[in-house]
Amino acid sequence: MSIEAINEQLLRAIGAGVAILDPDELSFRFYNQTFSDWFETAAPGAAFAAVFPDLDRTAVIAALDGSGRFVAESSFRRKRRTLVIALTFTRTDAGVVLLECQNITRMRELETMIESYSSMVERNTRELQREKERVEKLLLNIMPRSVYEEYKTFGTVTPQSYEPVSVLTLDFVDFDETAREVGPAVMVSEMNDIYAAFDRIGEQFGCERIKTVGDSYVAISGLPEPMDDHAESVANAALRFVRYLQRRNDSHPHSWKCRIGLASGSVIGSVVGIQKYVYDVFGPAVNLASRLRDHAEPMQIIACDLAIASSDRDLLIEDLGDAELMGFGRRRLQRVEGAPSITR
Amino acid sequence: MSATLYEKYGGFGSISRVVMSFYDRLLDSDEVGPYFDDIDMKRLIDHQTKFVASLLGGPADFSDDRLEQAHRHLQIDGADFDAMKQILSDTLADFGFEDADRETVLGAIEARRSKIVAGA
Repeated sequence: MSIEAINEQLLRAIGAGVAILDPDELSFRFYNQTFSDWFETAAPGAAFAAVFPDLDRTAVIAALDGSGRFVAESSFRRKRRTLVIALTFTRTDAGVVLLECQNITRMRELETMIESYSSMVERNTRELQREKERVEKLLLNIMPRSVYEEYKTFGTVTPQSYEPVSVLTLDFVDFDETAREVGPAVMVSEMNDIYAAFDRIGEQFGCERIKTVGDSYVAISGLPEPMDDHAESVANAALRFVRYLQRRNDSHPHSWKCRIGLASGSVIGSVVGIQKYVYDVFGPAVNLASRLRDHAEPMQIIACDLAIASSDRDLLIEDLGDAELMGFGRRRLQRVEGAPSITR
Repeated sequence: MSATLYEKYGGFGSISRVVMSFYDRLLDSDEVGPYFDDIDMKRLIDHQTKFVASLLGGPADFSDDRLEQAHRHLQIDGADFDAMKQILSDTLADFGFEDADRETVLGAIEARRSKIVAGA
């Protein structure tokens, strides 16, 4: 068998489609079985346009005259499947144009599948991110950010002592009676409204609500980040709480009177519970603030050993003398009032 | 949380081969293949990737409404639905799915029969 005959046998046998084209006309001189399986209109001597009606023959010739190569894709239906064939035309030294055809159908199908899969995964990732942000927002509502960061990193929170901090505790006079009068729905809506206002005021003065239990509201300044003027912070917030309630009572059908206790000292903050966890604070300052609150008259703010800088002109501190506080012995009490500039 | 079948059988890396094989078999089938005569390849692969992922508990949320919308105009009858189920069952078996897991997947498809078969 001659070398030419062997070459021809090889070209016929390979899985890729191969055709040899006339260099000027691009008409078909030779093609193998695979080629004619894909391009059924191929025939000896067939014109270029008869086999590739969608390809511009002049553009192919121009590319071959330039770089010597032209690359294209041909896609067509073959028994309900879309076949995609990659075509490479090359001008050869032998004075003919060689056309190689690869079946890239599977590659295209896999690309489509990956595209589809990525879109699912990206959508899921976006949903997870949104969910994560929702959870984070919820957790940040019940614990300070630095505590949340510790919880997120280690899965647990080490109880930490904070000193000095100032604690504000507040409750409402005759809460049970008023709650009974207005009914549970109105009561919840009223508390929601009032606590939301307290939160805003507290934030303005640098103290953070730690918890509410029924009509009792507890906020702290100096935690988790230390604050030099933690005492002024709670005192100023307390004054605005009272002023807010006074104004609210003037224009609302339901009237609420609060009592506030303020104390400075140390507290321990930690996440309590495993399944149902809450961030809570404990310690002498919390208990003392509660005792002081119990000593307060309606709409009064009572404090003890509050380290208020004399430079704070918004605050007036009146000495009330000593009183016996359960668990704390005799302590000197103070009443906190607002200077005329802020009580107007 | 227990692992989904999607994770159990190797995630996208392996499930993609199941989807591709299922796609080939459907197109080659004389019984159900004709339904896909005029369906665009991209649309069909996208649909099957998401559908198989959702059957196996993968990262897809394929609503029944969407399933119904995709098949309503095809007028698929019960026998062809059964043939499709059989093709999927054979595919899963060839890819080493345990019998119980195959039953779970086929059960999930059966539950959607009324969304795929016309007038079921």
